[in-house]
Amino acid sequence: MVGYGIQSMLKDGHKHLSGLDEAVLKNIGAGRELSAITRTSLGPNGMNKMVINHLDKLFITNDAATIVNELEVQHPAAKLLVLAARAQQEEIGDGANLTISFAGELLEKAEELIRMGLHPSEIIIGYTKAINKTLEILEDLVEKGSENMDVRNTEEVMLRMKSAVASKQFGQEDVLCPLVADACIQVCPKNPANFNVDNVRVAKLVGGGLHNSSVVRGMVLKNDAVGSIKKVEKAKIAVFAGGVDTSATETKGTVLIHSAEQLENYAKTEEAKVEELIKSVADSGAKVIVSGAAVGDMALHFCERYKLMVLKVSSKFELRRFCRTTGAIALLKLSRPNADELGYTDSVSVEEIGGARVTVVKNEEGGNSVATVVLRGSTDSILDDLERAVDDGVNTYKSMCRDSRIIPGAAATEIELAKRLKDFSLKETGLDQYAIAKFGESFEMVPRTLSENAGLGAMEIISSLYAEHAAGNMKVGIDLEGGACKDASIMKIWDLYVTKSFALKYSADAVCTVLRVDQIIMAKPAGGPRPPQQGAMDED
Amino acid sequence: MSIRMLNQNAEVMNKSAALAMNIGAAKGLQDVLKTNLGPKGTIKMLVGGAGDIKLTKDGNTLLKEMQIQNPTAIMIARTAVAQDDTSGDGTTSTVLFIGELMKMSERCIEEGTHPRFLVDGFEVAKKATLEFLETFKTSVVIGDQPDREILKMVARTTLRTKLYEGLADQLTDIVVNAVLCIRQSDQPIDLFMVEIMHMRHKFDVDTRLIEGLVLDHGSRHPDMKRRAENCYILTANVSLEYEKSEINAGFFYSNAEQREKMVTAERRQVDERVQKIIELKNKVCAGTDKNFVVINQKGIDPPSLDLLARAGIIALRRAKRRNMERLVLACGGEAINSVEGMTEECLGWAGLVYEHVLGEEKYTFVENVKNPHSCTILIKGPNDHTIAQIKDAVRDGLRSVKNTVEDEAVVLGAGAFEIAARKNLIDNVKKTVKGRAQLGVGAFADALLVIPKTLAENSGLDTQDVIVSLENEHDRGLVVGLNHNTGEPVDPEMEGIYDNYSVKRQIVNSGPIIASQLLLVDEVIRAGRNMRKPT
Repeated sequence: MVGYGIQSMLKDGHKHLSGLDEAVLKNIGAGRELSAITRTSLGPNGMNKMVINHLDKLFITNDAATIVNELEVQHPAAKLLVLAARAQQEEIGDGANLTISFAGELLEKAEELIRMGLHPSEIIIGYTKAINKTLEILEDLVEKGSENMDVRNTEEVMLRMKSAVASKQFGQEDVLCPLVADACIQVCPKNPANFNVDNVRVAKLVGGGLHNSSVVRGMVLKNDAVGSIKKVEKAKIAVFAGGVDTSATETKGTVLIHSAEQLENYAKTEEAKVEELIKSVADSGAKVIVSGAAVGDMALHFCERYKLMVLKVSSKFELRRFCRTTGAIALLKLSRPNADELGYTDSVSVEEIGGARVTVVKNEEGGNSVATVVLRGSTDSILDDLERAVDDGVNTYKSMCRDSRIIPGAAATEIELAKRLKDFSLKETGLDQYAIAKFGESFEMVPRTLSENAGLGAMEIISSLYAEHAAGNMKVGIDLEGGACKDASIMKIWDLYVTKSFALKYSADAVCTVLRVDQIIMAKPAGGPRPPQQGAMDED
Repeated sequence: MSIRMLNQNAEVMNKSAALAMNIGAAKGLQDVLKTNLGPKGTIKMLVGGAGDIKLTKDGNTLLKEMQIQNPTAIMIARTAVAQDDTSGDGTTSTVLFIGELMKMSERCIEEGTHPRFLVDGFEVAKKATLEFLETFKTSVVIGDQPDREILKMVARTTLRTKLYEGLADQLTDIVVNAVLCIRQSDQPIDLFMVEIMHMRHKFDVDTRLIEGLVLDHGSRHPDMKRRAENCYILTANVSLEYEKSEINAGFFYSNAEQREKMVTAERRQVDERVQKIIELKNKVCAGTDKNFVVINQKGIDPPSLDLLARAGIIALRRAKRRNMERLVLACGGEAINSVEGMTEECLGWAGLVYEHVLGEEKYTFVENVKNPHSCTILIKGPNDHTIAQIKDAVRDGLRSVKNTVEDEAVVLGAGAFEIAARKNLIDNVKKTVKGRAQLGVGAFADALLVIPKTLAENSGLDTQDVIVSLENEHDRGLVVGLNHNTGEPVDPEMEGIYDNYSVKRQIVNSGPIIASQLLLVDEVIRAGRNMRKPT
């Protein structure tokens, strides 16, 4: 007889998990495991992870977004946390680690509550109330007067950017921050809300050290000039998207030739045509030609003759950025550009940095629309990690352009939240008060992890933090270097309000979703090539 | 067995085994879906073959995604999905009702009743219940100015069973406004005129209704404006790109001069079309600060884009066909298929057109339109599964509002109808039926209770307690439903819990039909493959 229940009705290979033990607690376990991985990377003293992804690419980083992306998490519940982190990364560009770690902590506390006998739905109600209260408190903790800022003031920008960069590259934030701040301020448009992250480019060049890094107003192209002219100053630029070559029809054309003479003539007319075109470009005042596609040999010859520098930019997006940098308008066909279609640059020069030839396009005045941070470092993975720190910094700048409010960093905010939520939970009457209290407790995870990662005694620090906060010193956080409590406003550690509120909200959302699920139905994993079996790590 | 003589491999299940299998499958399916019902239902997580996650509370989605193999279960699932296709909701209820009918019948059959009598009883009970529904329903007058409140209540009832409360309440307004927006008197409501667009961005509570359109692509030229106010909209289906001729053509030329001419000649036709559009733009926009937007269903190639950009026109290419229809309804004007003879009357109007970039993807918003007959529900959510969940819910919400407008009636929810219908069957109908068919009527009446029972069960209440107290109230002549928070009887009218009339009708109609069919099966024959072990 056909068996009873769902399992017999599904296709072979389906898995069906349901109930508290099978689904909810397993899901919680998976989420906790994931957060245990990322947690040690939280904060400035976080440890790096070495991740080798399915393409055998090596990552050494403490950026949680990168770690969880490359981990290829399979478990559906853990995946929900990954998705939350990804959403945070896309929306804010920073705080992914907080999202996952906090969600993991909340799940752990939820498990305790379930073991105590609470139903997941009561926990969800409690957590929802708690997160709403948290956001309220968070707004209250915002530093007075920080809602107005001058986004062009390096000091103020650095103040807000420092903790984001420091959590990725501790000890080097004093070098990196000015670079990033500089680059961002240069490209900041009239209305700061329209700041585009894409306008701050990063060029990674192996060699030298971080101290050799610099900011270029303009772009750095990682290739050589095509012709023999390598340096031009104060030049007008013509940009052609369609390539610099003889024009061709869409329909196939055939050259009809009757005699040898005609053949010779044809070549000559061809030459004359190209020369005419290049000459017209040269006449328009342009000194540099940028091509979006191939540059014909013949065209190159005439460019040399008319002393035109030729650059090739094969990426369409790179070409658009180039146009933005120089203020040029890309022409589709090789023809004489109008004066307003020409761009301008202070200097275009091919330089050799660390064995690689790069073309530096500088534009000091006028269209300050693209800036490039040239990063130097000894290895590719260091450079990659530096780049991620710069990305985080730039994203922080973007967020502060939209909402410049700040809250005390160094776990000061978390302790304050923990304290106030505990008070709040005592006022609630239902069973959800336990959930609210646990939600508050979860915030202790941040100072605990920070001090654990720094090798400090966590319990001691947390208790003294509570003591300070109870005395009304709301801004007291951990001084990781001194190993004691210190006012965050003295240490100048500030977090952006948006980053924190989004991260907390995303993790609370993800946790509630995980808790709401009580049945999982898994289809048979689809076929496809099996991943190669992993050999022992030390064999190669 | 005789069938064995006809086919060696055939398999037969005889009378009792067949019945047991059918009943078992119906109950099994009921068990799966049971926890879905009502606002306190739990969420199921479906993991697809590629590891993709889907979270749902919607019975329909669940049945579709589950890949059921048992033949009886498939039959029930199909009925339930058909229920969704016709009325947009009530899938879970249908499955539960069928399962419960089978369960009740099982008891009778074990006591020696022949299924035929039960089926006869079902038939009588069904008819009586449908008649009762006619008297029980609450009529709603849908005139030119529909009663927003009642529509909201219906939408809220549906949405709360799919999403958590806060979000459901927010979506309620959205779906009601959307349906009223596209509603044109004396025409059936076409829900396709509500575009459902999603963006992976911010939070689920940022979902909103846009009176206008959102297109999921942007202009393709860097020099085009990103934001424009007071725009004429030209909806076009004209190819603005060079198309190769069908015939195999080639050129012969003997010098570069001639070739250049060929290059221009080749493009002339396309350029002329672009020129026509630019002329129109200059005619209507000259001397004003108005802008001009071309939304083309066909392609626009880079040279044409360039020409349009120079003329200050925003151009979008390869718009979806369905959006062209919506665009005309939203902005006015008409879709043109040829650039010949365009006039200002062909143009639509939008107060604001802007582009929104999200990572790699671009979205174009066409907003502030005059008198829209098409609108967009823009769903936002931090990740794909949230978006999918909202999308399913919005679809059901829209359907429920549409049903109400078309039915011009609603039914009290929260289990009130089921209790009242049962009372009617037991008190009035059962006595009029002669013979053993009475048992069928009784089974039907008891099966109706599955809805309030499951509602109570999912809310963690004592099922028996709830049913008894609800029945007591009904005996006293009060129409009450279940308050799932307290477990106390509540007046659904006060709470604003209304179900769709057509949904209820469909459930009462289709449930007994399938149950009857399944009960009357006395042999299951499968030739060839072994049915006990699905391969």
